[in-house]
Amino acid sequence: MGGIEMKIRISWNRKCILCLLPSLAGIAAFFAAPYVRVLYYSLIDNQFRRNFAGLSNYIQTWRNEYFQLALRNSLMLMVLAVPALMVLALLVSLGLSYGVGRLRALRTAFVLPMVIPTASAALVWQVFFSGWDNVLPVYLLFIWKNIGICVVLMTAAFACIDRGIFEAARMDGASAWPLYTKIVIPMALPAVLFSALLSIVNSFRVFKEAYLYYGGTNYPPNHAYTLQYYMNNNFLKLDYQSLSAGAVMTSVLVFLIVMGGLALQRRVDP
Amino acid sequence: MKRVMLILSAAIFFAPLAVTGGLSFLGAENTATLQNYDDLLFNCFIFYPMFWNSVLYASVITLAQFLVVIPCAFGFAQAKFKGKGALFVFYIILMMMPLQVTILPHYIGLRDMGLIGTRLGIILPAVFSPFGVVVMRQYMKGMEQSAIEAMRLETNSIIRVIVHTVLPQIQVCVLAVGLFVFADSWNMLEQPLLFLNREALQTLPVFLSGAGQYEGGVLFPAAVLFMIPVWLLYGFFSENLEKGLTLGDVS
Repeated sequence: MGGIEMKIRISWNRKCILCLLPSLAGIAAFFAAPYVRVLYYSLIDNQFRRNFAGLSNYIQTWRNEYFQLALRNSLMLMVLAVPALMVLALLVSLGLSYGVGRLRALRTAFVLPMVIPTASAALVWQVFFSGWDNVLPVYLLFIWKNIGICVVLMTAAFACIDRGIFEAARMDGASAWPLYTKIVIPMALPAVLFSALLSIVNSFRVFKEAYLYYGGTNYPPNHAYTLQYYMNNNFLKLDYQSLSAGAVMTSVLVFLIVMGGLALQRRVDP
Repeated sequence: MKRVMLILSAAIFFAPLAVTGGLSFLGAENTATLQNYDDLLFNCFIFYPMFWNSVLYASVITLAQFLVVIPCAFGFAQAKFKGKGALFVFYIILMMMPLQVTILPHYIGLRDMGLIGTRLGIILPAVFSPFGVVVMRQYMKGMEQSAIEAMRLETNSIIRVIVHTVLPQIQVCVLAVGLFVFADSWNMLEQPLLFLNREALQTLPVFLSGAGQYEGGVLFPAAVLFMIPVWLLYGFFSENLEKGLTLGDVS
């Protein structure tokens, strides 16, 4: 009996592994295998001679003034817009979860932008902010578009917290703020951290917002020139060497951020 | 006070949508008119194929993703093999990679298969996005194992197990992922810009980007019509979004 059951278990396990295959094959064909090519392209001098060039593409890309401008702007967005987004999302989520009355109806206003195509919203942005000569409109579009997912994740985490603890502390006369900072936020910290991580990662993706806000030009004002513009423009020139070096450097940067974020999240997970 | 602030900020967040709607009816000399819609629907013939392309890409990507993602997430939840944890971390990292990292590998993969400039070139890379796998796998942690074991006594077919015992339990999550993936594909701009060379295959974001030669008047009604399908889907499925996207503790 034991032998047969063992066999069934093994064949079942094999079937479960088979279930992974379509996804793995697709990722291998459209990401993993080509990524190896990208690594190779980043190490050769050009597409025709294909001599090994060491790190010279990386050094050249790193020294390129547009790459530096792009990197600086992308980091600025991460340092300025992401914290603003997080604070706003936290306040809104707390208000929606613990506010009195029928405030839940308001959540649509914050979550709906998440599914609205950027292209539709960008038109209004052009009207609202015509003549603004700084990057603030792009930051605002980023916040508008990204607050939804943070609110969804945070309110879901708040909903899992036992209302009893909260009500008991309130009965004891604790005022609202310490309740939030000492009970609610620490208990929902994994979700808050994950939202932050997601927002940082999404801040690398604002190309679409900026591209549409500036009306489909490949050369936005300098303050809005982010890493994605750098990649996109080299794409149009089909400069595989700078493109590959840029992609590899960006992927390493994102890899480090994600691993750091996941490690931090694992440490706070109760 | 807190209440007022919240209502006020909700109004601010909602304003862009309301103003888009309002501006779509704005005619010359600030009068309300349907002229813009008339121009768009009866004089701007490129709008229809582009709208249809967006519908086609987003629907096919969403449905095809279900076929790839649900078995894959189930496999992650049930199979035991060496390196499973590491493989799942790879999926999480890939999910986080910005498009500007993944788009070059996608381009190279498509180029080698001769799919640049075709509809399949837009659809295929998106079908294998790891997002749904990560979300559904997390959700499947809450699945009842006993129901699966009971079903396995009846059948040896993994497809039947998934359809009859897994799907009913993860329905909420499947709908949430579907809404998210559809909205994301609906919003697609970079892939059509870089992978397609014929206007007949382009999508609405490209039409709206102003990169084309379209007159200002038709853009606002186009933006409104472009929002309506995702707005409706959100209306039907937003409840699932709250309950289905339990991404909180991904680690």
